[in-house]
Amino acid sequence: MTSPWLRLAALASGLLVVASLGRALAFPVDGNQTVLPTKTELNEDALDKPREVFQSERAGAKSYMVNLGDLAFNSPAILGDVARQAGVSCGTCHVNGAGNAKFFMPKMSTRPGNFDVTGPLFNPKANNLVLDPVRIPSLRGARYLAPYGSDGRSASLRDFIRNVIVNEFAGPEPSSAIIDAIVAYVQDIDFLPNPSLGPGGRLVGKVSESERRGEALFSKPFPHDPALSCAGCHVPSAAFIDHQQHDVGSGGLFKTPTLRNADFNAPYFHDGRFDSFDQVVDHFDRAFDLGLSAQDKHDLVAYLTAIGDGVQPYERDGAGATLKEINDFNTVLATAIPSGDKAVVALAVDTIGQELRELTERYPDRKNTSVSGGEQQRVLARNSLKELVLMLRRVDIAVAEGRTADAATEFRNYRYLMAAAVPALLAGAEPWSLFNQNVHDQHYAALRQVMQSKHLSH
Amino acid sequence: MTVNKMRVATCLAVLVMLSGVRCADAAVLDEGAERYRPYMIEGIGSALAGARALRERAAAGDLAGAKKAWVSARAGWERSEVFTTGFVPELDAQIDAWPNADSGFHAIEAKLFGAGQTDVDKDAAALVEHLNDLHVKLKDMQLTPQGLLDGTARLAYEVGESKADGGESRISGTSLDDMRNNIAGIDFAYHTIFSAALNTADGKLDEMVTTRIELLEAIVAAPDLPHVDIARLRQTSEELVVTLQTASAKLGLQRPTLEAQVR
Repeated sequence: MTSPWLRLAALASGLLVVASLGRALAFPVDGNQTVLPTKTELNEDALDKPREVFQSERAGAKSYMVNLGDLAFNSPAILGDVARQAGVSCGTCHVNGAGNAKFFMPKMSTRPGNFDVTGPLFNPKANNLVLDPVRIPSLRGARYLAPYGSDGRSASLRDFIRNVIVNEFAGPEPSSAIIDAIVAYVQDIDFLPNPSLGPGGRLVGKVSESERRGEALFSKPFPHDPALSCAGCHVPSAAFIDHQQHDVGSGGLFKTPTLRNADFNAPYFHDGRFDSFDQVVDHFDRAFDLGLSAQDKHDLVAYLTAIGDGVQPYERDGAGATLKEINDFNTVLATAIPSGDKAVVALAVDTIGQELRELTERYPDRKNTSVSGGEQQRVLARNSLKELVLMLRRVDIAVAEGRTADAATEFRNYRYLMAAAVPALLAGAEPWSLFNQNVHDQHYAALRQVMQSKHLSH
Repeated sequence: MTVNKMRVATCLAVLVMLSGVRCADAAVLDEGAERYRPYMIEGIGSALAGARALRERAAAGDLAGAKKAWVSARAGWERSEVFTTGFVPELDAQIDAWPNADSGFHAIEAKLFGAGQTDVDKDAAALVEHLNDLHVKLKDMQLTPQGLLDGTARLAYEVGESKADGGESRISGTSLDDMRNNIAGIDFAYHTIFSAALNTADGKLDEMVTTRIELLEAIVAAPDLPHVDIARLRQTSEELVVTLQTASAKLGLQRPTLEAQVR
């Protein structure tokens, strides 16, 4: 995107998409028999997902470790009982390695997009008895962003990840290989490219006057403390950070967040208290008595929007995207099966199987009378996905029994079905699937109708 | 029979001969299917009686009584799902539509358990009518062992689906009861129709099926849905289906399909 106006228009339309999804497609957990609190919003039904860009894919293909880490990151099995029961994984909050602005969990969040990692639900032993949620951060560019945690308490990404698994989510002690793999995955998630950023974090290309003025203001010393400026902490560079913690009047010392791709990282500040750059700029104006004019604020927001941009921040969810992810996970099995690695095979079968089951439910069955047409296509799609699930289960059984050759044969058949038939069957059923906006809306409208009946009466 | 189906049947027959597998006697399975019929009639009869009671209690404005009758009707229906999805798919969609709450059990559930209202007369009358139609048909319905094996495998797979969002009967909080009744239906169908025949052909395989059904029953014996070990439930459900697929050849049947075909 080259034109600043286009950029702003794209951002506005992106926000509009997200906002309209929030209104029309919300599907909270409900009932009194759930592990997660009623009205939890995981935003799993969103049709537009954050796009994930990997550093290693630019140079070739992702490694076994990156794919294993991606798989573990998206597996509830590495976390504790509550998360496993609820089907919550690292990827529930960090969707495709980004954040989840709509995530909301009663008793664990104070607003959409934040979460209390020391709350009572997932690990009561870690409960600090204070509702102090932190913003769910995007992990894009994490390899540049040490130290880790909103307060920058951990210099090591490895230590930080282990702490999340074992302490915050009460998971069993993970093997070194699994932690190393998750570290490899997180470090491989790149920022979305921003063609408007040149060397040293300077704006390049077609830059508006407002953005230029904003860029100058960004580096201008604060009037009452010339040692400070926005750029003093958000150092114009690859990540716009200084790797330090600061008190900016938000209630303590918190690390400098990156401004790269920040257009898509709302809400802002350590606890996600601000929805927009306007609110952030207003806060700094007040906290540091900057005396900014309305034009200054406008220019700073224009600048932040320009440096926070990224190419194609979202991509449409569909069978193709899910199958691509599953094929990446399959490469883990391709290595683990011949080596008879029972633990990794079990983890992969569990995770991929669950993804396939979730994909199956995107093709409504006959009992879903909110969808009409395409019955035969839906049956074929569902049947093929269920066959894949069972083939994986046979792989798991064979490996567990030490029948590696049988597992390899079954896995070959699975990959053949996955490559030769399933994509076409899913494409054939797509018009009647939940990937179709109209079908999606009808389905969730029917669900909402059921659930509203309950909440209307109480 | 189409040429393709004949080819498949011929291939299966040849495979069976070559592998020296001892197939179950078709007559034994047919007898088993007939032994299943009274259970089927009793299950739908129980659902029908519950639906009639539900209609009466709701008409009398007795919310608690109507809820109790709904739960009773639901139990009979869920025990019968081994055959309903495959043998009467149209009725299944009318009686058990989900998530649409326009008709059937879940429309009534939303009113009774959600809104706390008893104005369900139209839906309750339709439910009684549908169940009555089905109940009348059952004594003459042709029951094939293949269709019942298909239904058993499909339901076994479905039991393993995640209920983390509260499940199908989330408004009444009875999704766990649905699962227990589904598994009771699987248990009865398997042991009434297939177990003896499979035991004769391959005793170890019969034991594997039985063990997995018992494991499923133990898993759903949890006090409530949040305490059901979801990962273990899914694994066991898939192992059961895989075992039933293996068993189908020993029973002289085709591998069960996982989705009811469109008619």
